[in-house]
Amino acid sequence: MNIKGSPWKAGSLLLLLVSNLLLCQNVAPLPICPGGAARCQVTLRDLFDRAVVLSHYIHNLSSEMFSEFDKRYTHGRGFITRAINSCHTSSLPTPEDKEQAQQMNQKDFLSLIVSILRSWNEPLYHLVTEVRGMEEAPEAILSKAVEIEEQTKRLLEGMELIVSQVHPETKENEIYPVWTGLPSLQMADEESRLSAYYNLLHCLRRDSHKIDNYLKLLKCRIIHNNNC
Amino acid sequence: MDLWQLLLTLALAGSSDAFSGSEPTAAILSRASWSLQSVNPGLKTNSSKEPKFTKCRSPERETFSCHWTDAVHHGSKSLGPIQLFYTRRNIQGQTQEWKECPDYVSAGENSCYFNSSFTSVWIPYCIKLTSNGDTVDGKCFSVDEIVQPDPPIALNWTLLNVSLTGIHADIQVRWEAPPNADIQKGWMVLEYELQYKEVNETKWKMMDPILSTSVPVYSLKVDKEYEVRVRSKRRNSRNYGEFSEVLYVTLPQMNQFTCEEDFYFPWLLIIIFGIFGLTVMLFVFLFSKQQRIKMLILPPVPVPKIKGINPDLLKEGKLEEVNAILAIHDSYKPEFHSDDSWVEFIELDIDEPDEKNEGSDTDRLLSSDHQKSHSNLGVKDGDSGRTSCYEPDILETDFNANNIHEGTSEVAQPQRLKGEADLLCLDQKNQNKSPYHDACPATQQPSVIQAEKNKPQPLPTDGAESTHQAAHIQLSNPSSLANIDFYAQVSDITPAGSVVLSPGQKNKAGMSQCDMHLEMVSLCQEDFIMDNAYFCEADAKKCIPVAPHIKVESHIEPSFNQEDIYITTESLTTTAGRPGTTEHIPGSEMPVPDYTSIHIVQSPQGLILNATALPLPGKEFLSSCGYVSTDQLNKIMP
Repeated sequence: MNIKGSPWKAGSLLLLLVSNLLLCQNVAPLPICPGGAARCQVTLRDLFDRAVVLSHYIHNLSSEMFSEFDKRYTHGRGFITRAINSCHTSSLPTPEDKEQAQQMNQKDFLSLIVSILRSWNEPLYHLVTEVRGMEEAPEAILSKAVEIEEQTKRLLEGMELIVSQVHPETKENEIYPVWTGLPSLQMADEESRLSAYYNLLHCLRRDSHKIDNYLKLLKCRIIHNNNC
Repeated sequence: MDLWQLLLTLALAGSSDAFSGSEPTAAILSRASWSLQSVNPGLKTNSSKEPKFTKCRSPERETFSCHWTDAVHHGSKSLGPIQLFYTRRNIQGQTQEWKECPDYVSAGENSCYFNSSFTSVWIPYCIKLTSNGDTVDGKCFSVDEIVQPDPPIALNWTLLNVSLTGIHADIQVRWEAPPNADIQKGWMVLEYELQYKEVNETKWKMMDPILSTSVPVYSLKVDKEYEVRVRSKRRNSRNYGEFSEVLYVTLPQMNQFTCEEDFYFPWLLIIIFGIFGLTVMLFVFLFSKQQRIKMLILPPVPVPKIKGINPDLLKEGKLEEVNAILAIHDSYKPEFHSDDSWVEFIELDIDEPDEKNEGSDTDRLLSSDHQKSHSNLGVKDGDSGRTSCYEPDILETDFNANNIHEGTSEVAQPQRLKGEADLLCLDQKNQNKSPYHDACPATQQPSVIQAEKNKPQPLPTDGAESTHQAAHIQLSNPSSLANIDFYAQVSDITPAGSVVLSPGQKNKAGMSQCDMHLEMVSLCQEDFIMDNAYFCEADAKKCIPVAPHIKVESHIEPSFNQEDIYITTESLTTTAGRPGTTEHIPGSEMPVPDYTSIHIVQSPQGLILNATALPLPGKEFLSSCGYVSTDQLNKIMP
């Protein structure tokens, strides 16, 4: 095409370019490791790979723990109805479908994941303590709970590392939903107590699934540029 | 009646505002749904089937649809249009109102389709089916639980390779992910399972789940046709999607003449049976009486021995039998050390004269062989600090000093010393002669020599009687030639208890018994040159064309008639042949012995050594290992 003789085309091209920049700024992938090479001992790609592996593992453990608990204590007793309670992380603005996830910007997405992970530190700790203190503590559930607690901590560390690499300027945001379900875990009434456990494990399964999903989305977005 | 009660309660509950999220009402509602579901089978008694949910499914986590069975109207009661209502808890955790299905059409009949705007993944849904306002079925779920991916598409295969035999082939099967699953953005991660079978088989072979979209399938038979299918599922869930379309694989026949059946050479069987057969044959041969074959396979390792001689015999010290046996051998040449002119006396410990009467001579010899001799040598020998034979000067001076002025007992010292030194020298000389020694198999053990040391005291020997013994000893131990350095060949033992050593001149000569005949002449001359005036009587005999064997057998027992002086029966002449049986004629060509018997001790005049008195022209005795021949001594002495 002859540029010389087609100023219209040049102009439209420029307009297209600018509009793309404006519209697509949300989903434009940030350069890898803008914080400088000094902070990137492990590549971002590896960090994401590890994070996805961890989140997948945590979600598998949560699912297994939940099904075991359900099979053992609450199967067929209609607990599922009561378990459609709100989880303590429901207050967080988590995207519920793909479109919402895609519209969320990267920075907020990462902060959200970190918040969810932080908010689960305490519930997991109490879960382990309470299950351990149960009479005839179910070994399978206890071991999984312990493993989930540990892996969640590791995942949190990894996420913080990712955030520091991708968004070094992010201020540490310590706000996260607080879990208050400890008294319900210690209730004397067995039915209520089982219901509380059921709810907690159900929420854990769901949140771990969310984290796993979000990380996979982010990985494909940041590392592979939406082309996994 | 229960059903009506339930429906009544539901209607009451539904009419109120209980769906705003209060827990008890929702619980009641859910309980009602669950109880309805459990009660449903009982409803069949009315011969009308209520519509109920068959399946709710979401293929890509962005939409989902629910299907139900159509109502079968058998009964009189006709059901109205069926409606589906759904509700979902919003973010705040509150249950919202029941809403009707947005799309009854897209998913087909008796279905409700929820598009992406209505689908929230982590928010639980509850749906209910109503007919004429009556709820007939209800269900609660979250979208993630009902995800079932679509089957993969675009299956194809390529040939990887064909085996050498042309019977088997490997192929690579490829496919694509279902198009509606958003893999690129990471919304869904799928894993696949491939199954294949031959066309006329019934059972599918399954492979392990894989994450990639291509996989090799190994070892398919070339002449058969195969079917391949793939299905997918989400990594986290357990629900597999539907199978893809079947892919037909027909492998091209490369070789028209391929084998019809699989034939593999039974290498393993052949190896096993071969080894087994060989082992059996080996054992048969080993344990069979066929000595020939046995010898062929396992030839016996020759042990050193003389034919007809039992080595144990030697150990026991039966000297008589040994001598008798030895005499059988052709190569056996008894040494006529009875001449005694060439034997050397070694004075052993005289402190215990009783010893000569203890036990048999041979036993004593054997039992106390080295210890006594060496210890005696060490005890009596005040020359422990003397140098070895490598410094003959010192030895000579000592010899001179001691020999002249000391008494009889001292005479033995230098002799012993010389013996020692000679032992050392002999060793050296023996080494030079080692090639000769190898020619003859060692037929006797060194202990034979020790057997001769009957008495700890050196004794003059009767040449006639004792030479044979010496000869025995000497000849009997060709293998001990190498040991001469530590041992002196004892040719005889005098009654007084002294041991007569035969000189180790044979070794010097380097001639073993077997070579004696042959190398007589040559060795004679060699050794004559090698050493200064010493030669053993054996060598002397060698030089004599006739080897006097006669007297060997006759005198087995040493007859010690001599007194305790070192007298040899040999003549005093140095050059003349000796009287007696030996018929030594020490000519000018005498081989040089290591030991020389003392002919006469004329203290303080000195020693007269036997025989050896060969005037080796131009060769000083000093160069020797310290032995002085009588001749040389005569030269020294007045």
